[in-house]
Amino acid sequence: MDNKHIVEIRNLVKHFPMGGDHFLALKGISLDFAVGEFTGLVGPSGSGKTTLLNIVGGLDSPSEGQVTVLGHNLAGTSHKQRAELRRLHMGFIFQTYNLLPVYTVYENVEFPLLLNGVPADERKRLVTRAIELVGLSDKLGSRPAQLSGGEGQRVAIARAIVKEPTLVLADEPTANLDAENSHHVMKILVSLNKELSTSFIFATHDEKVMAYLHRILNLVDGKIVKDELVENPELKG
Amino acid sequence: MLTFKLALKNLMGAGTRTWLNVFVTALSFILIILMTGMYQGMDAHAKQVTIDSEIAGGAYWHPLYDPTDPFTLEDAHAVPPPRVVDLVDAGQAVPVLVAQAAIYPNGRIMPVVMKGILPQQDIISLPSAKLAEYDGPSIPVIIGRGMAKRANLNQGDTFTIRWLDASRTYDADEGIVVHIMSTENIKIDFGQIWIPLDRAQAMLSMAGEATYVSYAQNLEPLAETDGWIHRDVGYLTRDMTAMIEAKQPGTNVLFAILLALAAMGIFNSQMLSIFRRHKEIGTLMALGMTRSKVVGLFTTEGGLNAFLALIMAGVLGGPLFYLTATYGIPLPLDYSEMGLIIASRLTPIYPLALFVSTTILVSIIVTIVSYLPSRRIARMKPTEALRGRVS
Ligand SMILES: Nc1ncnc2c1ncn2[C@@H]1O[C@H](COP(=O)(O)OP(=O)(O)OP(=O)(O)O)[C@@H](O)[C@H]1O
Ligand SMILES: [Mg+2]
Repeated sequence: MDNKHIVEIRNLVKHFPMGGDHFLALKGISLDFAVGEFTGLVGPSGSGKTTLLNIVGGLDSPSEGQVTVLGHNLAGTSHKQRAELRRLHMGFIFQTYNLLPVYTVYENVEFPLLLNGVPADERKRLVTRAIELVGLSDKLGSRPAQLSGGEGQRVAIARAIVKEPTLVLADEPTANLDAENSHHVMKILVSLNKELSTSFIFATHDEKVMAYLHRILNLVDGKIVKDELVENPELKG
Repeated sequence: MLTFKLALKNLMGAGTRTWLNVFVTALSFILIILMTGMYQGMDAHAKQVTIDSEIAGGAYWHPLYDPTDPFTLEDAHAVPPPRVVDLVDAGQAVPVLVAQAAIYPNGRIMPVVMKGILPQQDIISLPSAKLAEYDGPSIPVIIGRGMAKRANLNQGDTFTIRWLDASRTYDADEGIVVHIMSTENIKIDFGQIWIPLDRAQAMLSMAGEATYVSYAQNLEPLAETDGWIHRDVGYLTRDMTAMIEAKQPGTNVLFAILLALAAMGIFNSQMLSIFRRHKEIGTLMALGMTRSKVVGLFTTEGGLNAFLALIMAGVLGGPLFYLTATYGIPLPLDYSEMGLIIASRLTPIYPLALFVSTTILVSIIVTIVSYLPSRRIARMKPTEALRGRVS
């Protein structure tokens, strides 16, 4: 792969079986994402944003075309290898947070580190820092059910970034947040992007998120219709 | 190790739901052991009663004696061999003379086996001493409660006894019920009357003779018996042993049903758990857990469930097992009418092997029923699991 590219997509087609027929969700997409990108897929509902993110994350497989993530051509990887890729290098932020209900805030954030076999003291340091970053140090022992929507999403963000992944895939991370919380969350992600040059790919139709993006990919009906770079987005935000 | 820790955390986190599952599984554990223990206790009790009231340590039989064939009784009597008589004199054995007879209680005729027994004996737990307490003209007779009921006889009632003596002539005399014994052993109750040995010998003109001689428990068998046949406890209880063995398939079915109930409970909660936790499964996959790890996690949760159930069964069942094994379980029904030897207080027996085999069996079954539903996870697409979609 090109060293600067964290994701390379070539002629990606995705169709879903629908009745006896196929529904084309992605219609031949070719894209490159560079290391340290802060990019958003925007577009109307049903345009294929989540589908594209899922394929990049190895959660779903392409029908046609090639997707290379972190130097691995996904077509040639096993389920296990894709899981490992996610475990070691990727963070997910879901619209619905998807926190583990029986775990505390601390345990939820600690989980990816446990999976990676990070030693205890290192774990403590990383978890504490990630939770501090999202401003939830006073909620360490709370369970997801006891959190507000904004707090839940911030825990999900802490969980996605705690292992300092190379790539974070965020699907509508602000959909359930009010304006204040949305800006708060985006600012955290921007600072991470700067400090650790973590790459971010968002799927969103939230104007507040778009205000922070360095690159906006317009997806309509399974096709990229516009790929624009934004100069100094922070000044707008 | 991580899987184990996570499984434990998930179970503890689920709180009440976990404990309810564990409780149900523990209950089936306890039931399996209790039922099996009761069965074994019943069998052991029946055997013990038979040994105490009928067999003692064993017996020396007249060579022609065959209890299943009443016609042998006419010839199956003789003076026992000297060494056996020595045992009787030493109070270590008791002679019994058996003959066919008929009684006429309340004008009816009932064929019976008439057994003359030495009243002063403590080899067989039979209230034979009551025979010696009577001194009157009639023949003192002890019968069992079941026999008394059937013949409609009460203590003090008299009736005619008719028998065939050694010269094969019929003779008759009046018998009197001196005692009605309650025994759990129907074999010494129904169709039998007990009279003093000397009276029997006189009535039958068989002075000094006996049909068999029972000897005390824990006594070494004699080496020389002059043609009399030595019968040990194993031989004398062989019918009963065969009956217990014949009953075994039934016991096994019960065991299997209880096991299936336990397994179904776990299977059900496991299915439900996977159904409810689709989204969690998707999340685990997105966080980089492989399918097989997730399957392992859920299977371990099921297995831990069983392990906790085992501990709970120990905590709840332990005292229960101890109390029932010590004090027995009172039974509300009198089963003796059904021809069964069952104590009014049933004392279950719990051999160690029962605990071990139940634990092993349940553990294997639980692992299987935890694993089977978890296998569905391996077929799940991460994206569909994430949507909480049921595949
Ligand atoms: N598993 C599936 N089976 C069938 N069709 C699907 C499946 N997943 C997605 N689709 C279809 O693909 C299209 C794109 O879906 P996708 O979820 O990617 O849209 P989206 O851009 O994320 O929309 P939204 O903004 O509402 O989240 C939709 O029309 C959807 O119905
Ligand atoms: Mg979507």
